[in-house]
Amino acid sequence: MAKKRRLSWAVMIDGRSIWTLNAVPKRSQYGESLRKFRGEEYRRWDPTRSKLGAGLSRARNTQYELLPDEGDTCLYLGAGHGTSISHLHDHVCGANNEKGGRIIAVDLSPRCLRDLVHLSTLRPGLVPVLGDARKHAAWGIMVSNKVDWLLQDVSQAGQADIFIKAVKRFLKPGGKGLLSLKAASERFSEGGEREVFRQVRTQLEDAGLNIEEQIDLHGLEDNHCLYYVTN
Amino acid sequence: MWLWYDWRAAAVADSNCNILDSEEWDGWHDTNAVCSRMDMIAHEALTPEAERLLERFPEAKPLIHGHDDLPDAAWPLPSQEALESLDKAAILLSKRGVDAAAGDPDRRLEHILKASDELRAAYVTIEGRLVEWVGLFLPEARFERDRSALAKNVVEADNLEGLAGTLDIGMPPEGPTDAEWDSLKDWAVSVREIKGRLDRMENVVRELATSHLPSLSALLGPILAARLCVEAHGRARLARLPAGTMQILGAEKAFFNHLKTGAPSPKHGHIFMHPWISRSPRWVRGKIARTVAAKASIAARCDAYGGEVWSQEAVDAVAARVEVIRSENSKPRQG
Repeated sequence: MAKKRRLSWAVMIDGRSIWTLNAVPKRSQYGESLRKFRGEEYRRWDPTRSKLGAGLSRARNTQYELLPDEGDTCLYLGAGHGTSISHLHDHVCGANNEKGGRIIAVDLSPRCLRDLVHLSTLRPGLVPVLGDARKHAAWGIMVSNKVDWLLQDVSQAGQADIFIKAVKRFLKPGGKGLLSLKAASERFSEGGEREVFRQVRTQLEDAGLNIEEQIDLHGLEDNHCLYYVTN
Repeated sequence: MWLWYDWRAAAVADSNCNILDSEEWDGWHDTNAVCSRMDMIAHEALTPEAERLLERFPEAKPLIHGHDDLPDAAWPLPSQEALESLDKAAILLSKRGVDAAAGDPDRRLEHILKASDELRAAYVTIEGRLVEWVGLFLPEARFERDRSALAKNVVEADNLEGLAGTLDIGMPPEGPTDAEWDSLKDWAVSVREIKGRLDRMENVVRELATSHLPSLSALLGPILAARLCVEAHGRARLARLPAGTMQILGAEKAFFNHLKTGAPSPKHGHIFMHPWISRSPRWVRGKIARTVAAKASIAARCDAYGGEVWSQEAVDAVAARVEVIRSENSKPRQG
């Protein structure tokens, strides 16, 4: 039997798979499997469906640092259908938001928002926002205080610029920022995705961010790279 | 001097970050009111509190909470309770945004056009099967010209003999069993039903496209206009496309193959469906596609930016131009 380790009160690593304590018992959010450990129900975090999950299973040095602390305020740009968000919520907020966390989930697509709005009724502490990650003027005011943790997962050209602007505007000093970069969304460059990843790295460094780890998600999420930075 | 404001309060501070005056709004218990405030801010308008302070301190520069230039001062930030109210408003706003998506003609057009495409694909398959099936039992039957009445004839016939009578051909020695004939007849019933459904659906596409894209529909026909709009992911994006992209919309595979391997570039995408292009000789199609696409991109811009709807004369002028291109190039270029 594989050895179990805990990343936090709600997140557990069992061999190669990651499990989070289900905040909405008996409910599988996107078809992931449910399993009981010592009487408590956990949901399996599918690393091929979630870049944050992929980052957690691929991180070498920063596995224990990638996630926010419980009860933190988080900003998630490019929330999608709420796959990652649901696991993040398990950890940051817990059942009925017992930890008092707040996750602001921004997405551009009404189709995704439909799922997120539904998710927010099951999971208090989750705040869906319909808006463009680039246009802070339209929704930035929803983020009254700076956040502890920020993740950006948008597939638009200029992801690094969007990220740097968002970090400057929304991330607390000493906060954690994660950028999931999709190489295919950037302009084609000589040297392929490696070159894109290298350029983005310099861009982040030039903006004064400390890169704690650059995690290649190859195999779980091709053409993607996750940057973990602090400011 | 600074005028800070957010959705709930506003304050003025001097250059040493001492708060001189502040205004707070206490209507935040009402989620609907918070939503309208959010709308106000999203449209980059000043809140009433900020307006009042600006009257008192006209020299202060109003900046929204979180702006880079604002200094750190003891701004009157919202309480925990107010923040919870803000979260509720955010959820309500998102719900409204999702509801508003149903009113978006681009999304509606996309669904109905794709649905009618899928139905057409199904129709072609099962109608083809019907023709082959009947042809097996009645080898003398010939449907090259018009097979639209076949389904009706099968449905109305009582047996194979009856069908042969309507088609005015002889009976073969071998025939289907009664049960087999019933299945064949059921098949014909569904062919007819799907045809009816398809016609109704395409009429809806025409209606939607004519109201959403009146000029482009006048120029290219409503179905083609709808197809271009869906391919471009919406009218606003369609209007922003250059004519060259409009020309090859729908031929992305050939286009990227051209970029990658240097194969000949595609000359037309969906626009090929228009008889101006598909009914022209091969060697002028590219020229005509270019002209028509240029005109179509103008028409799309008229539709998207509220321009004048194209009249029949404007469409006729394009048709005349197409005719000129055709007659100027009546023979393929030599060499």
